[in-house]
Amino acid sequence: MIDFLAAAIRIASPLLLAALGGILSERAGVFAVGLEGMMLMGAFAAAVGAWATDNALVGVVLALIGGAGIGLVVAIVTARFRADNMVTGLTSNILAAGLTSYLLRVMAGGGRPIAIHLAPLAAWPIPGLVDLPGVGPLLFALPPLTYLAILGCVALDLLLRRTQWGLTLRAVGENPEAAFAAGIEPMRVRVVAIVVGGAIAGLGGAVLSLQQVGTFTDGMTGGRGYLALASLIVARWNPFGAAVACLAFGAAEAFELRLQGFGVPVSSYVVQMAPYLIALAVLAGLGRSSRMPASIGQPLPWER
Amino acid sequence: MDVGASGVTDAAPPTAPARLPALAAWRFHVGDQLAWRIAAAIALSTVSAALLVALSGRNPAAAFAAMAAGAAGSPHQLGVALNRATPYLLAGGGVAVCFRAGVINIGAEGQIALGGVGAAAVSLHWPDTPSPAAAMVALVGAAALGAAWAAVATAIHLGRRVHEVLATLLLNFIALLLVQQTLAGPLGQTGAGFLQSPELPAAAWLGKAPDLGAHAGVVVAVVAAAALSLILWLTPFGFALRVAGRSRRAAAYAGFSMNGLTWGVMLLAGALAGLAGGVEVLGMHHRLIEGFSTGFGFKAVTVALLGALEPLAVIPAALFVGLLEAGSLSMQRQIGVPSALVAVIEGMTMLFVLAATVRRA
Amino acid sequence: MTTLLQMRGIVRCFGAVRANDGVDLDVSSGEILGLLGENGSGKSTLMKVLFGMIPADAGDIVFRGRRLGGHRPADAMAAGVAMIHQHFMLIEAMTVVDNVMLGWAEAGRLLKRSEMAARIHEASRRFGLDLDPDAVVADLPLGRRQRIEILKAVLREAELLILDEPTSNLAPSEVADLLTILRRLREQGKGVVFITHKLPEVLDVCDRVVVLRAGRVSGRSPVGAVTRAQLAEMMVGRDTTAPHMARQASSKVDRLIVTNLEGPGLGPLSFAVKGGEVLGVAGVDGNGQLELVETLAGLRRPHGGALSVDGLELVEASIAARTEAGLAYMPADRSSTALVKSLSIAENLMLRDSRRAPYSRGLFLSRAARDAKARALMREYDIRAPYPATPAGRLSGGNQQKIVVARELDRKPAALIAHQAAWGLDPGATRFVVERVLALRAAGAAIVYFSSELDEVLDVADRVAVMANGRFAGVVARREADLGQIGLWMSGRAA
Repeated sequence: MIDFLAAAIRIASPLLLAALGGILSERAGVFAVGLEGMMLMGAFAAAVGAWATDNALVGVVLALIGGAGIGLVVAIVTARFRADNMVTGLTSNILAAGLTSYLLRVMAGGGRPIAIHLAPLAAWPIPGLVDLPGVGPLLFALPPLTYLAILGCVALDLLLRRTQWGLTLRAVGENPEAAFAAGIEPMRVRVVAIVVGGAIAGLGGAVLSLQQVGTFTDGMTGGRGYLALASLIVARWNPFGAAVACLAFGAAEAFELRLQGFGVPVSSYVVQMAPYLIALAVLAGLGRSSRMPASIGQPLPWER
Repeated sequence: MDVGASGVTDAAPPTAPARLPALAAWRFHVGDQLAWRIAAAIALSTVSAALLVALSGRNPAAAFAAMAAGAAGSPHQLGVALNRATPYLLAGGGVAVCFRAGVINIGAEGQIALGGVGAAAVSLHWPDTPSPAAAMVALVGAAALGAAWAAVATAIHLGRRVHEVLATLLLNFIALLLVQQTLAGPLGQTGAGFLQSPELPAAAWLGKAPDLGAHAGVVVAVVAAAALSLILWLTPFGFALRVAGRSRRAAAYAGFSMNGLTWGVMLLAGALAGLAGGVEVLGMHHRLIEGFSTGFGFKAVTVALLGALEPLAVIPAALFVGLLEAGSLSMQRQIGVPSALVAVIEGMTMLFVLAATVRRA
Repeated sequence: MTTLLQMRGIVRCFGAVRANDGVDLDVSSGEILGLLGENGSGKSTLMKVLFGMIPADAGDIVFRGRRLGGHRPADAMAAGVAMIHQHFMLIEAMTVVDNVMLGWAEAGRLLKRSEMAARIHEASRRFGLDLDPDAVVADLPLGRRQRIEILKAVLREAELLILDEPTSNLAPSEVADLLTILRRLREQGKGVVFITHKLPEVLDVCDRVVVLRAGRVSGRSPVGAVTRAQLAEMMVGRDTTAPHMARQASSKVDRLIVTNLEGPGLGPLSFAVKGGEVLGVAGVDGNGQLELVETLAGLRRPHGGALSVDGLELVEASIAARTEAGLAYMPADRSSTALVKSLSIAENLMLRDSRRAPYSRGLFLSRAARDAKARALMREYDIRAPYPATPAGRLSGGNQQKIVVARELDRKPAALIAHQAAWGLDPGATRFVVERVLALRAAGAAIVYFSSELDEVLDVADRVAVMANGRFAGVVARREADLGQIGLWMSGRAA
């Protein structure tokens, strides 16, 4: 059981970071369809950075920059040029996939990609807490980026609910005109939200390459960015809800892996569908939800 | 306060409004600006790609030359490009028409995959049908399944007021898993190392042109694009779509039902995407293979945008992408520039096109 | 009482129109000034100039001893001027306190929610606003939401509050509450400018009143020294119109019949229009005209009531069916409803008839027929453009409206709903529209002609109705129309 939960947490941590980044973007009124590309670029930058400098911290910083870079591209095209959020996000995912694969090979001089082998980041046990029975080893001996994800969740929640900046962001996502009447620059807020969100999503990618797999392979995010999008929708754009949703999706995947081991006649594919079906069900139940940021997907109506 | 006037004012008119040649008048005011902008977008991304190639220490001119030779250097290579372009053209045409109507349908990925299932299932279920009926019936099955999946998305979108992008996007993943499920089950070939169906009856295969190697699906795709353009410009339904894409209020005022239009355009696009899947399965692989259509749906969006949402222009756009992809392998082999550059070019071009051609302002 | 605001010689033009033509205005502290006028009189423009939303072309503004010029809303707010807009700028999903804190540096980087809540309680008590800081705006009725705007103004220590048509969306009880709040503001020494077209409210709560007409001040008075009738005259005053020839409806048959039509912001309303008759509907914009027009046309569903054209019951019918039944509609919104600007003239001419002959034959559209028809209509209605393929957006406003007129009238409708048909048009184009409407009348159609320009309505109508608060405040035959009475009807009932 403990193993199962540990697996769930492990699978959930990259999702959570990506979802947190997505929440920033969506609460500001921009659909976060580009999470997949931001994660992928982050994974790539982290792996390459850590490998080149033999320093994981460099990798983490580069992951932030890489994710932010993709975020900047999305922000310019959709917030500044007012192109459709969704299509821009999809396009940037294609770009990120191509760019990461390309650079991976270019750095090796041509055909074969460079072989990166990194030792996955080790767990940082918290002395004292880790000795608690049951819960201890589960929750307090996690690798550093996972702690960061949990902290990030708490921080984002505080930021959104308790600071002027968070209020501003939410206002732009609900009613940019009213925000403008209150003296805010909606476009600037949206650009910042997308870029910072991209950086955090990039960090989610770093979890994959630095903390779990120890290398970068083409398209290694494998749709996790879209899963993170589904989870933030299920969570109704709430950081703590996103943590729960990601954990649930992580549990589903962990469960599916164990199923394969036990030879239970439930199809693994059907189980894999569960997160998407849940997300659809939640959306269908919500209808045009009153919880969805009201102005989401709508371009800013004036040149500012 | 009427501040919208510009250009022509109440000056004395000519004695009778003159006739402009029909084709020019038809295309002129829609296409001229857009064409320039898309050309500029392609040029910009070519320059960026050249820079990326130079970054890797290779000669951009040589790289592009190798790509061109690899793409169209021989009839066989050209055939490869045409085959690659075909599913993009079919699905892209449907997506273009949807976008024109203001319906952002990105479910092609799933609809194509299920179309492949449809074609495989029909041809395996009735293996004794003679050619060419076998292929036609299988393609009908493909289109039907694609349309059915689009119908699911539409029902959720219109019935439960879920944003059509989210509905189609999520259904993509479910569709891909469904395909895997059918390959693991009823349609699968036992004993194969990976997920694939048994080889389909030869009667259902699409014929190939002798030197070219391009399969009959190319013809289907071109005919479909022409038909779409016809529908868009010469039928009341197409007119309604074009109005709805520009102003929902005007469409309501004009008496068009937005629900009816959405159903129509989604079913059409779903059928075309399904057809794309069927054509790929019957023409290229002759069996259903897991992941045979990965990325096709997003390519369809690329190609639709590059063609400025005009079905006839999607033909050269799809060909362009097909040539890029066919040539990229040669480029990698001969010059050492990774073929992943193609995805970069596609992504950049699309982003530039998006930035340059915002429709709903 | 000190002078808070002095505006002198304010001029503001939009193209050839002088929206403000040398206006002087004074407001003192501890005073409520009523600013009265019809649509297009210039009152909104004047306040936008004051608030810095648009610059004046000429004139001075002095506020609390300092010149205010070339400024933006943020500067006006900093100086102590607050504007309570007609359409509230609030975030519905958030609470009152969140809305107050938005964009306000005093709320702190780390939001001082409890401190703000306390201040809201205190101000709420002082001004009788009765607002709960933790209430979600979406749950509040419109009257309460408006108070949040007032609260924001007061907390940011505004000295002058401008309220732009504040009672237009309020229920009568809410109006009474608002007026009480305004009195409290006055007691506390604030200056208030109360922009409205509703006379009873002005007489109820204002100290002085300034009336604008066609960009100029047509009268000033302390409220005690003037009567309703006099104010109405100042607002509407057309005393030099030549007497119109009496016109009779040409048939006895009611072709358009509306019974008890009711919906949000509308009715219940009943009227009938005979063939060959024009029912002109006057009234200040925003009194239910859009609701009525769109319900008649089929763009909105009513709660109840009936509508028939030539005996055919249409209240459940689709828009397409109504067009088919002979009900023509010219919307006020030319740019995105009546026309699609990026489509050609020819396509706009066939916008509502694309499934019918001559535009389509069988399954296909006939482009030759479409263009031939377009050329014919362009000739007949004098639409000035080089080709039928010209995008409609390139035409002048007058020619754009001609497209709409041509399209609706060429169908030879049984009934026509025209909403602001001559909006923004120069006199020549206006004349054209009026002539065509009268020609349709001569052909025996029943016409309902809505306009906020009284002149236009009087030009065209056989009977004149005045719309206020979603109903007809009065209906009278044209030759019996008394401008004073109409002015009174336009300015609404007592709250």
